[in-house]
Amino acid sequence: MVALKDTARMNRLLRTMLCGLLLITVTVVECRAQSTSETIATVSPKVVKIFGAGGRKNLYAYGSGFVVSAEGHIVTVWSHILDGDSVTVVLHDGRRYEGRVVGAEPTLDLAVLKIDAEGLPFFDLSIPTPTVGPGVRVLAFSNVFKVATGDEPVSVVHGVIAAQTTLSARRGVFDAPYSGPVYIVDAITNNSGAAGGVLTTRTGQLLGMLGKELKNNTTHTWLNYVVPISQLQTAITEIQTGKFAPRKTQDDEEKTAAPRRYSPRDFGIVMVPDVVTKTPAYVDRVIPGSAAAEAGVMPDDLILFVGEHLVASYRALRDEFGVLESGDRVKVVVRRGDQLLTFEFTAPRKNIEP
Amino acid sequence: MKSLIVIANTALMMTITAACATAAPDAKLEGLEEQAFREAAAIVAPSVVRIETVGGLDQLSPGLAAGGTTTGLIVTADGYIVSSAFHFASKPSSILVTLSDTRRFPARLVATDRQRMITLMKIDAEGLPVPRVAPRDGFKVGQWSLALGRTFDSDSPSVSIGIISAVNRIWGKAVQTDAKVSPVNYGGPLVDVQGRVMGVLVPLSPQSTGETAGVEWYDSGIGFAVPLEDTMAVLDRMKAGDDLLPGLFGVTFQGRDSAGSDAVLDRVRFASPAEKAGLKKGDRIVGIDGRPVYFVAELRSVLGRKYAGDEITLTAQRGEKKVDVKLTLVDKIPPFEPAYLGILPQRQGEAAVVRIVLPDSPAERAGLKAKDLITAWNNEPVTSARELAERVSRMRPDEATTVTVQRDGKTESLNVKLASYPDTVPAQLTADVLSTDPPAADAVKTGRLSETLEGHDRKYWMYVPESYRKDRPAGLMVFLHPGDDSMESAVLSAWKPECERRGIILVAPQCDRPAGWSPNDLEFVQDCVAKVKETYTVAPDRVFVHATGNAVPFAAVYTFRNKAAVHGAALTGAALRGNAPENDPDERLQFHLSSSLADKQATAIKVTAEMLKKARFPTVYTTFTQAAEGYLPSLMVEEVARWADALDRM
Repeated sequence: MVALKDTARMNRLLRTMLCGLLLITVTVVECRAQSTSETIATVSPKVVKIFGAGGRKNLYAYGSGFVVSAEGHIVTVWSHILDGDSVTVVLHDGRRYEGRVVGAEPTLDLAVLKIDAEGLPFFDLSIPTPTVGPGVRVLAFSNVFKVATGDEPVSVVHGVIAAQTTLSARRGVFDAPYSGPVYIVDAITNNSGAAGGVLTTRTGQLLGMLGKELKNNTTHTWLNYVVPISQLQTAITEIQTGKFAPRKTQDDEEKTAAPRRYSPRDFGIVMVPDVVTKTPAYVDRVIPGSAAAEAGVMPDDLILFVGEHLVASYRALRDEFGVLESGDRVKVVVRRGDQLLTFEFTAPRKNIEP
Repeated sequence: MKSLIVIANTALMMTITAACATAAPDAKLEGLEEQAFREAAAIVAPSVVRIETVGGLDQLSPGLAAGGTTTGLIVTADGYIVSSAFHFASKPSSILVTLSDTRRFPARLVATDRQRMITLMKIDAEGLPVPRVAPRDGFKVGQWSLALGRTFDSDSPSVSIGIISAVNRIWGKAVQTDAKVSPVNYGGPLVDVQGRVMGVLVPLSPQSTGETAGVEWYDSGIGFAVPLEDTMAVLDRMKAGDDLLPGLFGVTFQGRDSAGSDAVLDRVRFASPAEKAGLKKGDRIVGIDGRPVYFVAELRSVLGRKYAGDEITLTAQRGEKKVDVKLTLVDKIPPFEPAYLGILPQRQGEAAVVRIVLPDSPAERAGLKAKDLITAWNNEPVTSARELAERVSRMRPDEATTVTVQRDGKTESLNVKLASYPDTVPAQLTADVLSTDPPAADAVKTGRLSETLEGHDRKYWMYVPESYRKDRPAGLMVFLHPGDDSMESAVLSAWKPECERRGIILVAPQCDRPAGWSPNDLEFVQDCVAKVKETYTVAPDRVFVHATGNAVPFAAVYTFRNKAAVHGAALTGAALRGNAPENDPDERLQFHLSSSLADKQATAIKVTAEMLKKARFPTVYTTFTQAAEGYLPSLMVEEVARWADALDRM
């Protein structure tokens, strides 16, 4: 995760530095200028409508998917629609097939289906996919709200890339089924039945798979996210070729109660009591002779960051200290008056029950 | 770079033309447009900052959770940053700004523009990148606009693309865009395709004000930005640390649809800039700052860009002549509070004769006595009790003046220091002497009466005191019962002696639904009261509404809607919601609120009383311990009767 983040940062740095260059790259890629309507005509036949389990209460029984092989491999999201033994897959031209799940990767929220067909138009995943930034025009294809029936092609929505960001499974940030890099789209792409559809550039290059409906816990708005195809490619190919072994899910770890291995007290910091939901993380007093006292932490300092994470409240601080391991270096940024001060500590050796 | 933008612009125009000619958009133009978007965003990006807050409220308003991250825009190289006031409604305890180059600074709030909902903050930094400002007069409906935000964990700001939907919205305060505007980018810039900042994204609502007004329109295609040019124009005022507040001058206009109505003044508020400038009811506003005005909307559009403290010149048409008045807008017009002298006038005859001097009142302290004839107030002659009441109430409660009286044939001048209305009812109040003459031969019906109101075909009952005489105006109590209980026998037996003693007619319209009164019943009650007034002589200043339980909210609506005809409300057993309407010097209202201490509603009723007092309505709040079966205990009935018998106090 750390390595990945660093790589991402390097990428971002490069991007910033070579911003102009990137513009040129995009322009070059777009040499085979193709209008939006021409793109839609070539992409639509590769997107399918999926009907399966559900239909009760708020669980809709329809979804979207896209074809990745001429012989009928179909990629979609891992969802309750696939709970039955089989699903119905309807192609753009109205042909109906029975689809079976051949593999799934829950950590990527990914499933691959197979239908018995031949000669289908498909997205060739061996062609490298571009990385695009905010402002790039995109098209989203899905059977949102199952508007398309029978031989009707799926719905197309246009927009631009709003942002590239990371969905993090860190508690309280996103309650997302998937964590990792995503595109955020400036269009209402993620609605009932849209998950499993595709996002392409306006020239039809595959960018990613539309995600589920998800609320952004930072801003409390709906989030239209798309999982980049680069994240899914390996797993899809492995499932297709039968070499797939599901990765260890993070779920087990996530579901257990938040660890409480360390607390500010282990460093000699006594916090102001947690009285309301968002009690700010103010230092009440510092135990004389402790690591914090030696470093120079003072009463009334407001702890703002632990490592790179903003601690919006005492509770967030408790969670950040809780996950420390013996010997970890921990960087703490505090606000004192109008100054920001950084302190570093080492988590002391401690007998922690397993 | 510049040439690319020029190309893109040309391309934009061409697209529009091309779209008419061919159905399919041209791929090359789409590409150029896209490039222009990306460049525009990149030009402004370094000025767009991420703002994180710590602590503060959990919810901005019921059901609207507060987030921890928002966007800001650098407006000066030395560290002034603007954002939407939306995010700061949670009153965070600490604010942290992260620049596009990842440097972090603690920030302090400087001031908020409450007219446009823009918050200014400051960080201690130098040499920050300041964006170019797009001139407001160049905005065109239909031009591209990009909404940028920095709430995602990402190096570049998020981008939403749309067009300008309108240039003068929310009374001239904002431009409208169909780009997606939400907590994701509130506080961020709305950028034109040249990379100049048009405005700062904020939630706004044409109907309501406040930090969170308009947030319900997030991502709906209706988004607003406050022109940066406007914010820059007031930046120095904000830097001084003063909040900028909407400017008021204190008038209401005739007609229900305030925006579409003619700008004819309906009311000029007491002690407002408009009153001080000499504006009068009936004046038609025909100009503001030299610009012509035909409708209220035009006036509001100019005022929407003004603040408290700004000076305006209004041109008013009054009859044949035009009047120019200069006035300074204020942030708040104090509620009208009537002054209190502490006398009850004689009810027979026009003259202002003192009937009772109320205990512990300014009148008592000044030495006024019963039977004094008041001939002048504030050294100006007084001809009637009604005129005196009017002039007393329009003074401020802390003012001092002189009252001239004739007593035993001599004229005396007394100094009186006025006060606020007391919040208790006099422990004793002598009833007006009743007539003992035998009733006339053609006298109207008295006693317990059951009637059906023509036109509505609905029932009401009455009690008219046997002591009623046509030449002696009576008080009138309109009793509104809870929907599920007419309370007729309890109320009749409790009130019959009071009605007799104090000369009060009781009328009780009957609610026909167990669920209680609804606004549809207003007309029925009004017509009931009109019918009683037609048949009996009623003193106009002693009409009041009395309600219990679930009839209370309806009674309040009835009272506030009929201020010209109702002068008090005695409410018990239920609270009111919302805010009290403005206290109107022309239509005086008094309140009596009571609750049993055992009642679960007691606290809420007390809050209602506080709300009415805050709006400066003379209000009495009483509690009682001993509860009578289903109605008020007799001591409380006596108190309400005394209160009602003193409604003509001044």
